[in-house]
Amino acid sequence: MAKKLMKGCEAIGEAAIHAGCRLFFGYPITPQNEIPEYMSARLPQVGGVFVQAESEVAASNMLYGASGAGCRVFTSSSSPGISLMMEGVSYMAGAELPVVIVNIMRGGPGLGGILPSQSDYFQATKGGGHGDYRLLVLAPSTVQEAADLVIDAFDLADTYRNPVMILGDGLIGQIMEPVEFKKEIKPEDLPEKPWATTGCAGRARNIINSLYLDPEELEAHNWAIYAKYQEMAKEVRHEAFNTEGGCDVLIVAYGTVARITKTAIEMAREKGLKIGLFRPITLYPYPTEALVKAAEGAKAVLVSELSTGQMVEDVRAAIAGRKEVAFHGRVGGMVMGPDDLVEQAEKLVAVPA
Amino acid sequence: MPSVIIEKDRCKGCELCINACPEHVLAMSEEINAKGYFFPMAAHPENCTGCRYCLLVCPDVAIQVENKGKVTKRPDALTEKGFSYCPGCTHGVIHRLVAEVLDELGVRERTVGIAPVGCSVLAYEFFACDMQEASHGRAMAVATGIKRGRPDLVVFTYQGDGDLASIGMAETIHSANRGEKITVIFVNNAIYGMTGGQMAPTTLPGQVASTCPTGRDVNLAGYPIRVVELLKELKTPAYLARVTVDDPKHVLAAKKAIRQAFKYQLEGTCFSLIEVLSTCPIGWGMQPHEACGWLEENMVPYYPLGEVKVPEPAVVKAGS
Repeated sequence: MAKKLMKGCEAIGEAAIHAGCRLFFGYPITPQNEIPEYMSARLPQVGGVFVQAESEVAASNMLYGASGAGCRVFTSSSSPGISLMMEGVSYMAGAELPVVIVNIMRGGPGLGGILPSQSDYFQATKGGGHGDYRLLVLAPSTVQEAADLVIDAFDLADTYRNPVMILGDGLIGQIMEPVEFKKEIKPEDLPEKPWATTGCAGRARNIINSLYLDPEELEAHNWAIYAKYQEMAKEVRHEAFNTEGGCDVLIVAYGTVARITKTAIEMAREKGLKIGLFRPITLYPYPTEALVKAAEGAKAVLVSELSTGQMVEDVRAAIAGRKEVAFHGRVGGMVMGPDDLVEQAEKLVAVPA
Repeated sequence: MPSVIIEKDRCKGCELCINACPEHVLAMSEEINAKGYFFPMAAHPENCTGCRYCLLVCPDVAIQVENKGKVTKRPDALTEKGFSYCPGCTHGVIHRLVAEVLDELGVRERTVGIAPVGCSVLAYEFFACDMQEASHGRAMAVATGIKRGRPDLVVFTYQGDGDLASIGMAETIHSANRGEKITVIFVNNAIYGMTGGQMAPTTLPGQVASTCPTGRDVNLAGYPIRVVELLKELKTPAYLARVTVDDPKHVLAAKKAIRQAFKYQLEGTCFSLIEVLSTCPIGWGMQPHEACGWLEENMVPYYPLGEVKVPEPAVVKAGS
């Protein structure tokens, strides 16, 4: 298939259709409205269904029902809307339902603003709703990667019977880049889900549920889903860029900030400073081992995020005191320039006067 | 000669059958059953006419009736598990009616039910079909997800008044307004039963509940919400009816409405919601038969019975 110039949000929607998804439930919120708009036009063309829900709370519970009935289903929203969806997300994690949720992050807390942000890292990677659970979290940094990860997300969700979140930001959603879709899955070719509520003809009845009143049963359930999260560790993905043979400063960044870092790497090269980039693609599970290895060859480590410092906690936990981990963040919709990153990197390797 | 068959270990001793029997066939036992309850026995079997009134009002499906060689049976759409409801609570009657309708329409094996949060949170253990457990108030959103993804399935929700008319009101109004082809069984007992008797959106003016200890003050809490009348105002076609299960005749009328609601779904006609006025003897602090009387005297005047909205024939044609 030829490459097509597409906006990030539209590429995400088209990727879901290529993944065999024919159901979308969502509620409008800036800056991701192009996803529901795209789906409302595209899904009827392929025999699918688009429902504009009355709220994000309702949308997340529609996902619960549809996934419980064995359908591939997805939604998208942005930070405040994702908070509202956390009810359904917790229940889906508890009932082990595969769904794909796209969060095109904007600044917070509260209504915050509508410009790009990475301030929902904690919410995405540490659970987000109530209860002891994790989402598998994927963070694209290009439109092509967003499309690829959305398709993979549906398979990962089915494999682990767990919600998967695509964590992007307003920039990834709005930018236009060439994209091609690596595969097309037809819904009828997807494997049956024997656990789904599709009518009990010829089998014992199925129940989709997250209620365990017996504490021993609930404990067993908690450890069982924990074991699943441990197993997800084999899905770790990352990109190491310009780190061969070591570097002066290793910048750890994901999504949009990783793109900016690549420009910073070029600028620094002219100054004789070698910056390397470590970009986690899976934010949960976190590519800890690869990060430690990449950091070994660096004189200094700098984490940069569009937040006051969230992923930096996972980086510091991984580095475990072996190196100083510096942090540089911009928030509120403000985005650092590549020159900022070069300046921060220079400070870290400057010889004290 | 007709006879009453009592499955005594299912009985919780509510005595509703004894009150319902017009021929005084039944009397309470002197021994207790496995659950520790006294249970009814046929003290005057010769008087039995086979009217089934006892069966109709029994909230625990503990009674079957033999008449002219035919024996009634427990619906296939109910599991064998005994209900977890309090003695005399009419949830069990409503469960039986829904199950009978699923059996009679032959749809049990392609039905998905949705249990709510509230007294009937464990409904998924009682209906012998595929079930999903929803979070509080979201049963109709879950039903929407199932029905839109799998329109071939028969989808019903079973919800109480707090679930449907308080925390889930947005889902209720919008599911009805979208005309989701689902069937909603709405059990209104004017109180939060499971959490211990707090005020519900349907608690009557002046009715005492644990969070309105001096009675519902309409100046502070507003008036109880009449759900079917509220939904009636939506332009989208729907089948809306209010019934009760406080006596045998009302039980029969309730079943007819529930059956009609499922038929509209099967025909793809419209959204259907049946509000069932139900008792909460424990929450109300009454004997089960007193609760039925209280319902009749206090709830029915405020919540009139009958079909409140039926889909118009022209609209039916266009939608089918």
